[in-house]
Amino acid sequence: MFFITYLRRELRRRMRQAVFIALGLALGVGLVVTVAAASAGVNKAQSGVLSALYGVGTDITVTGNAPPPHYSSAGSTQPAKATPPPSKNGQTLQISPGGGAQICDNGHCVNAAGHTYDRLVPPYQEPISASTVAAVARLHDVAAAAGVLTLVDSAITYPATSAGSPQLATFTVDGVGTGHTPVGPLAAATISSGHFFTPADSHADVAVVDSGYAASNNLKIGSTITIKQVRFTVIGIVTQPQDTSPPDVYIPLARAQTLATATKNLGGSVANTVNLIYVAAASAADIPAVQHEISRRLPSDIVTAAGSLARQVTGSVSSAAKLTSDLGKWVSVLVLIAAFAMASLLTMAAVARRAAEFGTLKALGWPTRRIIAQVLGESLAIGIAGAAAGVGLGYAGAAIIAAVAPSLSATAPSSTIGSMQQVVQAGGTALGNRTVVVPLSPSITIGVIVLAVILAMAGGLLAGALGSWRIARLRPAGALTLVA
Amino acid sequence: MYKLTGVTKEYQKGRGVVGALQGVDLTIADGEWLAVRGRTGHGKSTLLNLLGGLDRATGGTVELDGTDLGALRETQLTRLRAQSIGFIFQTFNLIPTLSAAENVESALIPLRVSQADRKARTAAALESVGLADRAAHLPAELSGGQQQRVAIARALVKEPKVLLADEPTGNLDEDTRDDIIGLLEHLWRDRGLTLILVTHDTSIARRAQRTGVMTNGQLTIRQESPNR
Repeated sequence: MFFITYLRRELRRRMRQAVFIALGLALGVGLVVTVAAASAGVNKAQSGVLSALYGVGTDITVTGNAPPPHYSSAGSTQPAKATPPPSKNGQTLQISPGGGAQICDNGHCVNAAGHTYDRLVPPYQEPISASTVAAVARLHDVAAAAGVLTLVDSAITYPATSAGSPQLATFTVDGVGTGHTPVGPLAAATISSGHFFTPADSHADVAVVDSGYAASNNLKIGSTITIKQVRFTVIGIVTQPQDTSPPDVYIPLARAQTLATATKNLGGSVANTVNLIYVAAASAADIPAVQHEISRRLPSDIVTAAGSLARQVTGSVSSAAKLTSDLGKWVSVLVLIAAFAMASLLTMAAVARRAAEFGTLKALGWPTRRIIAQVLGESLAIGIAGAAAGVGLGYAGAAIIAAVAPSLSATAPSSTIGSMQQVVQAGGTALGNRTVVVPLSPSITIGVIVLAVILAMAGGLLAGALGSWRIARLRPAGALTLVA
Repeated sequence: MYKLTGVTKEYQKGRGVVGALQGVDLTIADGEWLAVRGRTGHGKSTLLNLLGGLDRATGGTVELDGTDLGALRETQLTRLRAQSIGFIFQTFNLIPTLSAAENVESALIPLRVSQADRKARTAAALESVGLADRAAHLPAELSGGQQQRVAIARALVKEPKVLLADEPTGNLDEDTRDDIIGLLEHLWRDRGLTLILVTHDTSIARRAQRTGVMTNGQLTIRQESPNR
């Protein structure tokens, strides 16, 4: 075909210039691909962060609001000003008149030496009635809802003699439903050994433990762990997705509600309550409406959707997101403009140099549109070469970022994070910000490759169009006079 | 064939106007060979451009077979050039990246001739100028005379009515010049072409049927040669 032959020969003649233009376009396109890949990586990291903070498959969380402060908060260096009052239905730790610690249980106090004081408490949040979970699950456009009681077990073991100091051991416990639900802390977990809970386990002293916690405490199926002086048998060991920070132990919700004790100003009891509801909407489009409806029905609770959580996430992942969306985008645009301008100028210069050729073709009776098509074809071919090279450069750029980029961290305020593990301090329960570290893994999608090809071809066509504009204005006699 | 009546052509040069042609009247018959002589800058090439539809007259009319070229749209003029007018240039004006055969073939592209027909006609045209064995050569691989033969083949492959040659031997040595003029004369006789040839060379002009001399944009027919 004459068109192809002519195009091929012309590009071969102007090989150096064609390569130069293609490389210019490739540079611009490669930068766009790299920035897009980095941006996709950051988005993926953000998704990972949100999953870690929020729970896989969860669209909305509902948590109880924190009541007015009574004890010291997380990070506070001030000691608690109030001592927890004695409890009639659980252990308390008190100071004896002689100054030693004593453990009181239902009004009966013993010297703490040689004993363990074990507390299982929820975070410092208003409890949510368990019936609310069912009410939320019944809402229109809600696919599933699961209530969870997040707890922290802290055990202080006092030595039998005055030599030595008390040992504090804490671990986190989630009281979860024993039926299957598509949302909740176990929704994304995979069982490593044993099995998940069954409905028959709802009141049993059985536990599922996280694989990390099991490994560090040498727990196996059949091992026992003590929670609030009750021995639970391990029936399953689970692995949660990477980047998440799961609780250490899961026990049936009913058992958690029975064993846990809330501080007095939260009512002292957590019976029939949860402090976190995981909600999955029927579709992504339904999330705002569902969030609005839950907020309307539960005005005193904190209702958080993934989107609002994302806005509150700070840290290097947030900085990286800003970097890619602001600086990266504009640098890419500027380089693209420079590449397009360079391609256009070089193409126009080439057209000017070929005035004789085009004048001759016009004299031979070639219609202007046919000559323009020839020039556009050449520019398009250069654009396609630039696209191919640009995608290659983009992959290289993404590989470099993956190799050298540090992991990103994200910090979210605790008030918005339902599944967040709590920080326990002696004398009370306090909440702190949660930081998750995720790797930055740039990824190049088909969409990005298509964008790169379109951009490079657009650059080539723009250059060709400007050259064509000159050709269209070229009068054959004038062109031939230039030759002469 | 051609009828020029009061043709003028003016160019803007700076703030002034330069008259390249000043009231040219000329009639050229079918199959005639007209040579146009004259010094550089006196309007020879301008006249040829108007005859070939490469430019438009400022005043007067240029008619080809009764059609006023000045009244045609650009696309119509382009079509006319593609079908009826062959050009030969002093500098050959071959496309440097295309082979001799592809250069010849390029003249058939606007006529939408089938590829097989293009190949056949190209081969025949190169054969007629004695370059069948140089078909695959690039212009840079050919001598000046061979390049001009390729240009002649390109002009004739579409079987035009008119052949316009602008100093076709201006870049050639004396022997090659004679070869080329001999070839043109042969083709003119053989094909019944109307040949309008611009030249500085009096000896070439003498071989034409008529010779016109351009002086300051005015054409004077001075000679009728034995070819008539």
